[in-house]
Amino acid sequence: MKVGRRKFLGAGSAALVGLSLKTDRPIAGSFVNDNFQMGHLLRDRTSFPPAKHVEKFPAVIVGGGIAGLSAAWRLRKRGFTDFVLLEMNGQAGGNARWGENEITAYPWAAHYVPVPGVKAEFVRELFEDLGILKNGQWDERVLCFAPQERLFLYGRWQEGLEPAIGLTQKDREQFQKLEDLFAKFRATGEFTIPLELGRSAKFQDLDHLSFSGWLQQQGCDSRLVNWYMNYACRDDYGALAKDTSAWAGIHYFSSREIEEKGPLTWPEGNGWITRRLLERVGEKVRTNQMVYRIAETQHGVSIFAGDTEFQAEFAIFAAPTFLAPYLIENFPRLDDFVYSPWLTANLTLERIPDSRGAEPTWDTVFLDSPTLGYVDAMHQTLRTHIERTVWTFYWALAEGTPAQNRQLLLDKDWTYWKEAILRDLERVHSDIRQCVSRIDVMRMGHAMIRPAVGSVFSQERLRFAQPRREARIFFANSDLSAISIFEEAQYHGVLAAQSALDRLHGHR
Amino acid sequence: MGVLLFISVLLVAACGLIYELVAGTLASYLVGDSVFQFSTIIGTYLFAMGIGSALSRFLNRGLVYRFVWIELLLGVIGGFSSAALMLAFAFTQGFELILYAVVIIMGVLVGLEIPLLMRIVRDRYEFRDVIAHVLTFDYLGALGASLLFPILLVPRLGLVRSAMLFGIINAGVALWTTYLFSTQLSSKRGLRIACMVVLCSLGAGMLEARKITAVAEDNIYADDIIFARDTRYQHLVLTRFKDDLRLFLNSHLQFSSRDEYRYHEALIHPGLASVPTPRHVLVLGGGDGLAVREILKYPQIESITLVDLDPEMTKLFSTHPMLTKLNDKSFLSPKVHIVNADAFPWVDSNTDSFDFIVIDFPDPTNYSLGKLYTTAFYRAAARHLSAQGLMVVQSTSPMFARDSFWCIAETLKQSGMQIYPYHVYVPSFGEWGFVLAATHEYIPPTTLPGGLRFINVEGLPALFQFPPDMAPLPMPPNQLNSQILVRTYENDWKDISH
Repeated sequence: MKVGRRKFLGAGSAALVGLSLKTDRPIAGSFVNDNFQMGHLLRDRTSFPPAKHVEKFPAVIVGGGIAGLSAAWRLRKRGFTDFVLLEMNGQAGGNARWGENEITAYPWAAHYVPVPGVKAEFVRELFEDLGILKNGQWDERVLCFAPQERLFLYGRWQEGLEPAIGLTQKDREQFQKLEDLFAKFRATGEFTIPLELGRSAKFQDLDHLSFSGWLQQQGCDSRLVNWYMNYACRDDYGALAKDTSAWAGIHYFSSREIEEKGPLTWPEGNGWITRRLLERVGEKVRTNQMVYRIAETQHGVSIFAGDTEFQAEFAIFAAPTFLAPYLIENFPRLDDFVYSPWLTANLTLERIPDSRGAEPTWDTVFLDSPTLGYVDAMHQTLRTHIERTVWTFYWALAEGTPAQNRQLLLDKDWTYWKEAILRDLERVHSDIRQCVSRIDVMRMGHAMIRPAVGSVFSQERLRFAQPRREARIFFANSDLSAISIFEEAQYHGVLAAQSALDRLHGHR
Repeated sequence: MGVLLFISVLLVAACGLIYELVAGTLASYLVGDSVFQFSTIIGTYLFAMGIGSALSRFLNRGLVYRFVWIELLLGVIGGFSSAALMLAFAFTQGFELILYAVVIIMGVLVGLEIPLLMRIVRDRYEFRDVIAHVLTFDYLGALGASLLFPILLVPRLGLVRSAMLFGIINAGVALWTTYLFSTQLSSKRGLRIACMVVLCSLGAGMLEARKITAVAEDNIYADDIIFARDTRYQHLVLTRFKDDLRLFLNSHLQFSSRDEYRYHEALIHPGLASVPTPRHVLVLGGGDGLAVREILKYPQIESITLVDLDPEMTKLFSTHPMLTKLNDKSFLSPKVHIVNADAFPWVDSNTDSFDFIVIDFPDPTNYSLGKLYTTAFYRAAARHLSAQGLMVVQSTSPMFARDSFWCIAETLKQSGMQIYPYHVYVPSFGEWGFVLAATHEYIPPTTLPGGLRFINVEGLPALFQFPPDMAPLPMPPNQLNSQILVRTYENDWKDISH
């Protein structure tokens, strides 16, 4: 009885402590991985000191995102190791960079790859090499675990992102009509990944129309249909439907077979692929190497970075193509390369926020939010008990022009974005401020190529995608396809490596 | 003034009745036997009110002042009574003593109220009017409270917050009284500050009440609770009814001591007795030590590794006298190594091999647990099997969750093993199923350890026979990216409860 009473008193004081007012946690964080400064040095054509050293390589890769790393992977796989890859940032990976804290690894941008279809043979070859595709079977552990996606609408959750509750007859008819249309487009074989393998002039007219214009032509005026189509464009292109080519909008829905396996994903998103690629080609990668000048010479091409001149026979330009006029001497002006600005943030959560009773999913989206919601880095854990996690928050700044939004990214401080993110999450997770201990924000002025109206079939773009026979510089960025996805980056990277190898072997 | 005054009477009466109802309901919920609880609580409460009325004659001066203090006291004690009683039940041995003490104190205070009020207002009305009005409103308040309580308060607010709401009303009446009778009070400031403090603490209590209700109200057990704890991982409750000990994890029954031997003998012996020379055994889950008790019946076994998430669970079953009696102090055996870890990562990172693997997890009620029933998990576990090795998986009920049972069997099959499903009857669970799996053929044992109460060699073949209502169904395997088992399991049990 005595023990009981003492325990009771203990419980009583615990209850009193519980009565004290809740206070929000202090939230740490900052902007991370900024490269505005370096970008602006290039834009303003700042003069750099002359090179002190000379290094010679048959091939030099400029840019260590997925395109550049894939080029390196292909060179190495073909037994060619006499090359170097120059990456501007401190960490390779580009849009497939990742971070890590004591809780988990997490992505900084791209976080999944849809299960590749048979046309994406380079991607399948890579995944076989990485050991997650064996005899046509995918490793269960890298397929996105169930439950995958949820949408918050009308004060409740639904599974999946296409609005499915509270639909009127009209909404349902329009969703069905689009589904049928997309199936027909899919059946034509024109909308493929990689894009280059299917695209012909057949549906070129669609590129001269905006996706929202096309939806209007189909009589789609349902608010929910338009929300979902806009969500898709913001998610994959960082643009609203009205700023997206109808051809690209259709490609989003018609390029992949409908399958239930779910995408390939990892805690650190596509950072996992970067890691595996770095295991294979990492010793060829030099980080913090900002290339500031590329000049074709009589015998090859010179690449200037830091205090070194890299003399190469061939260069693979895997950095975003819009940088070419600033780096490559006598390079023409580019008009058809438009990029969407993005903001991503990683939120460290000391406990799992209240989700109105729902079990966590991989991807969470809120209807009518200007943001794209968040992805849970602990979703792919094999543990059954999770106390802390990291959410990666995605925000394509699609309203307004890219230039305005880039200025916004420069003007507003970290506190502004922190508050904006918390306010967005607070609509659903009311206790979010008591759970977050850290918010790191990554600003990307040119996060991804935008398939703006007319850009998929732009002559300017098609010129770069087809290497000239006598070229010494091969272009490799995903922006050559006008859509910024892993498969396109890898495709162009591998092709550029192939072209370089053909030329090198031809020489010797 | 008249109406306002009598409304206070009405409110005060309502508060008094609510506290009584809260105490009665709580006692019925927690201890059971509602007729007994309500009778004794109402009796005690009315008796205490009588004491209060009798004591009122000793209060002579400063009646308004004293009335305000009584209201405040009642607000605090009544308001927090429900929360305090729940905590008392969860954390002390003396729930009943505390219950009746609280009921008596509240009764005395309530008994003081009406006599004091009548005396405060007696100079303003005729005696017969005072009696008539006060009692009319008293009974009206009681009627209102008794209707509000079951219809609105319990379903909407729950017991903890209902009591607090009426504590606030009590304190509100106290504050109001300092204005209503301000002429009869010399120093009002102190009183009003006290009122505000009480109001604020009850208000804060209302906001935080969910925590207390979550712990206590969700878990209503008819039997004596001899142990209840929220560990970091689960809600653990041990109940006893006569000689029957029962363990609940997150409100799901794990065993009843009356028939757990059927479950654990069936889990272990059909498989383990068939392993030619078993030396090393792995148990995943099974933090109650009952499976280990059965495994220790094989003297040739050198080591038993038990992986269970919750250290409080394994500690409880290593130390609590009732429980170590039940598991024969199995965790104290020098052969047993307890690892408190999450099973899947442990299975992935460990490299030991075992002659027998027991997989005894809670049923797949959510996506987290569902991961432990996937092809990915079974493939990882199968890598730990020695050449003669065999694994057994608790696979829920082939009767009540037939789809789920055959889904688990198919999952094991797709993980590259031959499967041998079987079932037994455990009264507290009903018909229950297990799946033996191995990369080689399973041959049922011809000898068993001595001293078994349920499994015998002659009965073994029958366990592997499934009558038509439990017969195999074609099911897809459960995989991490589909988690079809969680949905199947939910549907299976939904069908049963309808």
